[in-house]
Amino acid sequence: MTSRTHSTFQISGRSISFRLLEPNLIEIDGKRHRFYVLHRRHEHIVWLDGHTYHLQRADRGGLSPAAAVPASGEITALMPGKVLRIEVKVGDAVAEKQTVAMMESMKMESALHAPKAGRVAAIHCRPGQVVEMGELLIVIE
Amino acid sequence: MIRKVLIANRGEIAIRIGHTLREMEIETVSVFTEPDEHSLHVRAASTARRIESYLDASEIVRAAKESGADAIHPGYGFLSENPSLSEECEKAGVIFIGPRPNTIRAMGDKLESKRLMQSAGVPVVPSWDGTPPASEYPVLVKAVGGGGGKGMRLVEKVEDLAEAMASASREASNAFDDSRVFIEKYIRRPRHIEFQILGDSHGNHIHVFERECSIQRRHQKIIEETPSTAMTPKLREQMGAAAVAASKAVDYRGAGTVEFILDPTGSFYFLEMNTRLQVEHPITEMTTGLDLVREQILVAQGEKLSYRQADLRPVGHSMECRIYAEVPEENFRPSTGTIEIFEPPAGPGVRLDSGVARGSVVSYHFDPLLAKLVVWASSREAAIDRMKRALADFVLLGVRNNIEFLHRVISAADFSSGEIDTGFLERHPELFTVSADVPVEALLVASLGGDKAGSGDRIPDVWNSGSWRNS
Repeated sequence: MTSRTHSTFQISGRSISFRLLEPNLIEIDGKRHRFYVLHRRHEHIVWLDGHTYHLQRADRGGLSPAAAVPASGEITALMPGKVLRIEVKVGDAVAEKQTVAMMESMKMESALHAPKAGRVAAIHCRPGQVVEMGELLIVIE
Repeated sequence: MIRKVLIANRGEIAIRIGHTLREMEIETVSVFTEPDEHSLHVRAASTARRIESYLDASEIVRAAKESGADAIHPGYGFLSENPSLSEECEKAGVIFIGPRPNTIRAMGDKLESKRLMQSAGVPVVPSWDGTPPASEYPVLVKAVGGGGGKGMRLVEKVEDLAEAMASASREASNAFDDSRVFIEKYIRRPRHIEFQILGDSHGNHIHVFERECSIQRRHQKIIEETPSTAMTPKLREQMGAAAVAASKAVDYRGAGTVEFILDPTGSFYFLEMNTRLQVEHPITEMTTGLDLVREQILVAQGEKLSYRQADLRPVGHSMECRIYAEVPEENFRPSTGTIEIFEPPAGPGVRLDSGVARGSVVSYHFDPLLAKLVVWASSREAAIDRMKRALADFVLLGVRNNIEFLHRVISAADFSSGEIDTGFLERHPELFTVSADVPVEALLVASLGGDKAGSGDRIPDVWNSGSWRNS
């Protein structure tokens, strides 16, 4: 991978010449930059000259706010933590943005809101339960 | 003489206390709970003992006795402001590095502390035990037993009061094991200015100047600096005298902080007294040369303070940025994970008090403070330049963090002009937006590593598409 010879990168009709000098040092068009890269399943994390970029494909559904699909009724944990309390029961009617449960993470309380108006179809957690990020907690239909 | 100290804390503060103890040739014992088994503060100590909880005073005193420690340093948070640890230490004949239980109890009760300060002639904010009249809104609901913004709510209308009190009370109960809350007048556009104080058992009380802590999120400080841009020599003298009066009123022993709010007219009010080492204590150390932990140890073993008021001459300007595992752009949600790349800044006037390193696991069990980046320079302008450079040099990947956000905050025009108050971040929503555009250089370097790597001249097509966004 470490090529000390000049290479070119073609993007949107532009041609950029670069040299990879060291694993974390690159020369682009004659100017040196420090960089670090982490490849994750859903994103590539790039640190370059003091900025961190979380690269995601813009053409995949749901990643761009403009392309957002209609609000799903699934409420998932935004972070790992503990469910403090559930303020609705199955069958309850809820308004959009209504608080349906409270969570605690890193000693801070945060509210979980209904993503849309509807009825509580299922509750998959109970107060006191420790949940992982992304875990499905409540379904609104 | 203190020979061996148990540090009843974790993270960056446990490590920072250890630095001074080792400089004083005092042995250290660290404690850890199960999720902290591999944490940096455990590796830094010569002896480590596993405990069930950082909040169990009897267990911690027992650990000190069993490990032959003659003193306990509580750090900040956890049991530092809980009189039970100071009390248990007294009973067991272990030195508590901090004030006496009565001082902690009096200052930990916000209502009693205000009464005490009022009688010592220190100005205080008006407050109520019951429901304040409608004309007094907005009001703040605060936890009697706490700090750090936990159990605190701003209430705009009388009809929101009951819910805010219930929610604050629950949060206070979880954080401090004390569900009591009270209501205080809300001061508009306040600055948060605090004074470092030191007292010894020989009747000496001094202040070590102010720290401005007005840049806050969720009532929690993120950037602190000294001196304050709001300070004049006359105001400093008045507030310093009030801080020393507060220290004398409770015959304070050790290092403490008297917090004030300062309104735009120059009136100041006592807010609370923190009877412990403060998170932001390093900026005071940078401008004065004091080692506050060393003074704490000296006072705890009955010695006199090393400084008199007239000895202290602050030099230059210091600033601290708190590095949190959180996403400011998403309402400061905490982030967890493993720190895979950690390249801290260095250079003249840069100090990093860190609780983490490469490989550290950041879990949801504890506060998301990872490290404190502190700089010193000869002027405020130079300190801001230095902080920007240090933040731009800081590589921390694997856990989302606020490094770039801090850079944007200190780059704001209002910040450089010193026009700050505790509502600063709310007035600057533009600081919370990140461009979705990805520079081609970022795509280029992303293409050079991992399984999607290019080789030689050929970059895979995936990287050539312009359809990547920064999120």
